[in-house]
Amino acid sequence: MRRGEVSVEDQARYLGRGDYARVTAADRPGVAQPVPLREVPAQPWARVALGALLLFAVLIAGWEYYWRAFGVTPGSRNSDGLWAIQRRRIDNGEGDATVAIGSSRMYFDLQLDIWEQLDGKRPIQLALEGTTPLPFLEDLAADPKFTGRLLVGVAPQLFFSGFAFRGAALTYARKESPAQRAGQWLSMHLIEPFFAFYDHDFALDTVIQRQAWPERAGLHERRPVRKLAEHGPDRNTHLWGKVETDPYREVARSVWRNHLAPSADVPPPEKMQKTLEEQLDRAAKAVITLRERGVKLLFVRPPSTGPYLEWENRVFPRAKTWDILLAKSGAQGIHFEDYPELQGFELPEWSHIKHADAEKFTAALHAIIARDFPQFLAVGAAGGAVPDGHVAH
Amino acid sequence: MVFNSLTFVVFFACVLVLHNLPLGWTTKKVNLLLASYLFYAAWNPPFVILLWVSTVIDWYAAQGLVKAKRESARHAWMLLSVVANLGMLGYFKYGTFLLDNFSALMHALGIAYQPAHSDIVLPVGISFYTFATMAYTLDVYLRRAEPARNLLDYALFVTFFPHLVAGPIMRPTELVPQFEQPRKASADQLRFGLALMTLGLFNKIVLADSFLASIAEGVYDSDKVPGALDAWAATLAFSGQIFCDFAGYSTTAIGAALCLGFAMPDNFRFPYAAVGFSDFWRRWHITLSAWLRDYLYIPLGGNKHGPARTYTALMGTMLLGGLWHGASWTFVVWGGLHGVYLGAERFLRSRFANYKPGPLMFVALGLLTYALVNVTWVFFRAKTFGKAWSVLGGMFGANAAAKPILSSFSLIAVAAIIGGLVLTHWFMRARTLESVVARAHPIAVGAVWGLLAFAIAIAQGSGAAFIYFQF
Repeated sequence: MRRGEVSVEDQARYLGRGDYARVTAADRPGVAQPVPLREVPAQPWARVALGALLLFAVLIAGWEYYWRAFGVTPGSRNSDGLWAIQRRRIDNGEGDATVAIGSSRMYFDLQLDIWEQLDGKRPIQLALEGTTPLPFLEDLAADPKFTGRLLVGVAPQLFFSGFAFRGAALTYARKESPAQRAGQWLSMHLIEPFFAFYDHDFALDTVIQRQAWPERAGLHERRPVRKLAEHGPDRNTHLWGKVETDPYREVARSVWRNHLAPSADVPPPEKMQKTLEEQLDRAAKAVITLRERGVKLLFVRPPSTGPYLEWENRVFPRAKTWDILLAKSGAQGIHFEDYPELQGFELPEWSHIKHADAEKFTAALHAIIARDFPQFLAVGAAGGAVPDGHVAH
Repeated sequence: MVFNSLTFVVFFACVLVLHNLPLGWTTKKVNLLLASYLFYAAWNPPFVILLWVSTVIDWYAAQGLVKAKRESARHAWMLLSVVANLGMLGYFKYGTFLLDNFSALMHALGIAYQPAHSDIVLPVGISFYTFATMAYTLDVYLRRAEPARNLLDYALFVTFFPHLVAGPIMRPTELVPQFEQPRKASADQLRFGLALMTLGLFNKIVLADSFLASIAEGVYDSDKVPGALDAWAATLAFSGQIFCDFAGYSTTAIGAALCLGFAMPDNFRFPYAAVGFSDFWRRWHITLSAWLRDYLYIPLGGNKHGPARTYTALMGTMLLGGLWHGASWTFVVWGGLHGVYLGAERFLRSRFANYKPGPLMFVALGLLTYALVNVTWVFFRAKTFGKAWSVLGGMFGANAAAKPILSSFSLIAVAAIIGGLVLTHWFMRARTLESVVARAHPIAVGAVWGLLAFAIAIAQGSGAAFIYFQF
């Protein structure tokens, strides 16, 4: 026994608790605490560990098999760390790039491969699902390293309400520790390429939580959004093929129906109006700052259809939102309702364009910009206002 | 880096390999020291300098204490250590708090005072390693311990990564002797250490982060007024979250140290089966409560100078203990409530010295203890007093018209997890984990271990920081 150690017998005597005794610092007031004793319980630990490892391996294999049978394939995890990698590109010499911010529509509908083919340069995708782009617009406005082109996706219910499901991504990117950065790299190289189940939608608590639990009286429970997209390592993202057909399409639609249903959680009209005005003022201020720095900016309203569009038009009518946004900020915008080429795509769950059509949407969007907003694409031209060339439709 | 991260898995694997290479003991200790600095720097590299400052000051203070011929010189060395350590802690942890309160006081006196905006970042775990280094100097000053024989052993005591940022708060006499001779885990120690790490990470990743945290947030971080069911469910969820988070950290730390052949002390002993508050504090964050007892409560007079002094020392200790947790008056109230509880219990024990509760009353007193502990958690969790009063109002029926907040799933999860947790604590209250594992069938032990590991993997933890890192 080493200096300072206390024997098991002494400990047991001290407490009089037989073999359950273990003296802690709580039992020894006002004295130097001796070296603790940590016994290993008698077990055939080699066999126990082997059994545990085998069970773990079998269960993991079964879980992976289950999700692959569900139609999932390994891909990049849609994490804050992945977003931070793209955000850092602006700080690391790509400040003149084309950057996309917005919500899930800009995230899923803009296909980076197509844009790169047409434009020669691959955009940086910084849009985040369920999240207003406003804080990110302000972040870029405050960053003198960003001097490029900015596509700002506008999903009315997010942009004008200020809701930010993934708002923490910005703080994460600013404060990301070396350990977190290393963890992101390890995840992208050791986990994500091999395990389909490694997706937020298949996390244990998410899976358990979405089972058919009884509704609580008096509470409108917002159902969590299911997996809708597949992501690439540079956040090139598209709508998941499974969403295109029933029964999963109906699952996705039922979630939207749940979200669009009347709820006591909706703020009163005067509060919503106040929030709307705040968002518009902040957006206008950020746009002016960007314009002064020469950044070229376009707002883009990607398509939505069906009950989703009806709800948006009712709660966030264009005349009170989009039109005022453009007027206040002095920026130009592309609203899908103004361009026949941005209509007619298939949106399986009313909010996002299916993969094949998203490629066509991206090409059409680029063509519209080239035709109607040539200064946005012009290399070296003075940026900001993109003042001329907007063709009314 | 946090234990619940891929980075730590790789880091720990490298440390284990290095520690088991045929290298000299001094080389292995240097490896552990460098690994521990890397572990800490992985949060924010410049803060390693603070660790060095803290280490060097107390090393030289202890040397000075030993060499000092006069008592006044010994006092001076001790004070140097205390002032330097508390000064660093005060600046980084309480600087903004003190300035804000000073500003508020000036306003109350009608003096317009606006302090300059400060962006002081709290170094992770500063409260923990500050207490560890202070214990070293104070133990030498109190002649309870001799100083470490070399700077390497002492620096490793301060920095040893398993306990560095969230305890258990080690005393020098617990750890420094372990560095004096070569240590390597036996194969069974390694396996049991890994099993402990699995158990700790299950507590953190699965129970605390995946299920309980969002339920507590649903009420405490919402602007809605909670009714009784929501207020109690959220508070019970937080009681489980903070236990699983912190005890999970301690268990993982103890397991990590054991994998390397080192022993660390228990920090929790099933506290939600405590009967009375002195019992609670012998089971909850044991190394902190023992530290406060040895270096604050006893020096303040303890129970040797009459009831008035005892109650004053008790309350002072708990108030400062509350403040140790965070620079906010809500933490002070949390500590104060525990001080009141401890004082009341002490008074009742003296009045009813011969009272022995029967089995039912024993359980009832235990549940009362748990309920009253939950009342204190309200102040610990709430970010403002307004929120605390709102939740307390809900818990005690003042918000009868409140609308439901939490989903039925959340309520079921709280009932299942917290019910299971409290029952487990009662089953284990006079046992140790080791004694139960030793009696279990090996197949059951392996199955539970495998299931816990599986649950950790499919929970897909986000690497959320442990709550106590901020303290």
